[in-house]
Amino acid sequence: MPHKQKVLYIDYSTCIGCETCEYVCRFVHDTPRIHMMRTASGVMAPLYCRHCENPNCAKVCKRGAIVRDKSGAMILQPQLCRGCETRQCLLACPYAAMFETDTGVMLSKCDLCAGRRQIGLSPACAEMCPCGAIHFIAREDIAKIETDKSREAFERVMGHLRPGKGKEE
Amino acid sequence: MNAMNFNFLCGDPPPASARSVGIIGAGPSGLAAAGYLSCLGYLVEVYDKLPKAGGLMLFGIPGHRIPKERVEAGVRRMARKYGVVFHPRTKICCSAPLHDEEGDHFCSDVRGLGDLVKKHDAIIICTGSWRSRRLGIPGENLPGVMAGLEFLFPIRAAGYAGPGIKAPDVAGKTVAVIGAGHSAVDVVHSALFLGAAKVHLLYRRTRHEAPCGSYEIDRLEAAGAAWHESVTPLRFTGEDRVTGVEIREKTLGEPGPDGKRCALPDSEHVTVIEADLVVTAIGETATPPFAKELGLENVRKGEVRWLHMTDIENLFVAGDALTGPSKIGKAVYSGLRAARSLANWLDLKDQDRLADYPYDDLVAREADRFPGGRLHR
Ligand SMILES: Cc1cc2nc3c(=O)[nH]c(=O)nc-3n(C[C@H](O)[C@H](O)[C@H](O)COP(=O)(O)OP(=O)(O)OC[C@H]3O[C@@H](n4cnc5c(N)ncnc54)[C@H](O)[C@@H]3O)c2cc1C
Ligand code: SF4
Ligand code: SF4
Repeated sequence: MPHKQKVLYIDYSTCIGCETCEYVCRFVHDTPRIHMMRTASGVMAPLYCRHCENPNCAKVCKRGAIVRDKSGAMILQPQLCRGCETRQCLLACPYAAMFETDTGVMLSKCDLCAGRRQIGLSPACAEMCPCGAIHFIAREDIAKIETDKSREAFERVMGHLRPGKGKEE
Repeated sequence: MNAMNFNFLCGDPPPASARSVGIIGAGPSGLAAAGYLSCLGYLVEVYDKLPKAGGLMLFGIPGHRIPKERVEAGVRRMARKYGVVFHPRTKICCSAPLHDEEGDHFCSDVRGLGDLVKKHDAIIICTGSWRSRRLGIPGENLPGVMAGLEFLFPIRAAGYAGPGIKAPDVAGKTVAVIGAGHSAVDVVHSALFLGAAKVHLLYRRTRHEAPCGSYEIDRLEAAGAAWHESVTPLRFTGEDRVTGVEIREKTLGEPGPDGKRCALPDSEHVTVIEADLVVTAIGETATPPFAKELGLENVRKGEVRWLHMTDIENLFVAGDALTGPSKIGKAVYSGLRAARSLANWLDLKDQDRLADYPYDDLVAREADRFPGGRLHR
């Protein structure tokens, strides 16, 4: 793994839920890999892949279809994926960042815009977010830009993802 | 702050092509389209009636939610690096008399759509959705009754336009806001921020049905606003100036077996909420130039020859002008797709291959995937 591995970090306290990230991702990849969560109380927040250091998705996949590329992104290889019905990877992800689709292996996940990175471009969502809420940033630098507000907003979002575990409304 | 990168699809600008495209309206849909086409090397010219590009991202949505520097930097980058030409303060005429919509008083130049059609190979109309919907109840024309954008627009515009434009004077006053969408929320926040003594928010249904979501309502209450639900505005009171809103109020009972909540018997009554200023924020409707001539109804329904193309061959349309009020993300997507459609069309036209292209199939597939812009609002 390279020294400074860059990942996405979304500051939920500055995100306004405008859906630009999801729609730009849809334009670039046809099937979006970043999705808006909308709770009953109307909170909207994009769910996205953290390209975890210890990725649960890859751990549970028996076919080894989710692998790390040379810059550190966790990539789903559709040729190896069987699209198994148990959807272990999808259930295992703590951030709800794997998505069911209606095409191909019926799963999609973020690859940090692998094709774009190859030609020197950054992930499209981060480029177009009107609020600058999406950072494409070295993992170890995330702590430097976190704020009390961003941590609080993160807990709020996670509370919706893991009812019971996180803080409830 | 980094630029919002409308040119996210390319790195360095490509060699210039001979094509020229005009874009009317510099909101998120127009800017996204301009980014796409300038990444193809087209000469892109963007016309907007306002002094600055950004559309509602700059002139509608309050500044604490969208940092204007980021939008401005993206526009500057597009102009300097990719050669996009911006024509601010230029209104393309006209679906309505001038000075009819918010922002018209900024224009120093008015051009006909016909001139543009002659000048460019193709045009995309991205004029958004600005005409405020009205309640249609007595007293709506009284001074002191205003629409959501009428209230919000000058707050943002005051910073750009200098004298003549002033933020609404609400300090120490009581403001009543009708509606529960994004605009209503923004009006309440802005009124509180500008020092209103009391802000009432009135909605005809309950917080659980509010388009902005109950979480936003909780936040508004925490910020000091008074929330009134299940109220119907009947008329605005006052002689030569509004003094309040007369409303019918009711209390809902517990949900019945069908999950519906009915009004408790005898709970209905009529009262007046007093206010020095009433803002109706119940939504906007699209006002593109020449809506009828362009056959926009058909474009909305997907009955078109070419994606996003209007009845006039080289005129395309995108964003809220096409879908009605939506959100930034959908407007961006719509602008990108209109731009791609336009480029494909110009390519095939140049090769004289338009006839053998299966439009119908294309349109049907796309219509499935993107059914209109009214979701979530
Ligand atoms: C108060 C308010 C709050 C909102 N909050 C949010 C939010 O939190 N999140 C979200 O995602 N969305 C929000 N929206 C919606 C969002 O702003 C719009 O959906 C989006 O801006 C639409 O983009 P657009 O490019 O289609 O049009 P617009 O942004 O409306 O831009 C249209 C542009 O065209 C120009 N124009 C119009 N007519 C002419 C003409 N004849 N000649 C020349 N120029 C012309 C206008 O000056 C304007 O710059 C909000 C809207 C409002 C009103
Ligand atoms: S584009 Fe940015 S502000 Fe909009 S939903 Fe995505 S992260 Fe939030
Ligand atoms: S899909 Fe989930 S578990 Fe896998 S790397 Fe992304 S965030 Fe981590």
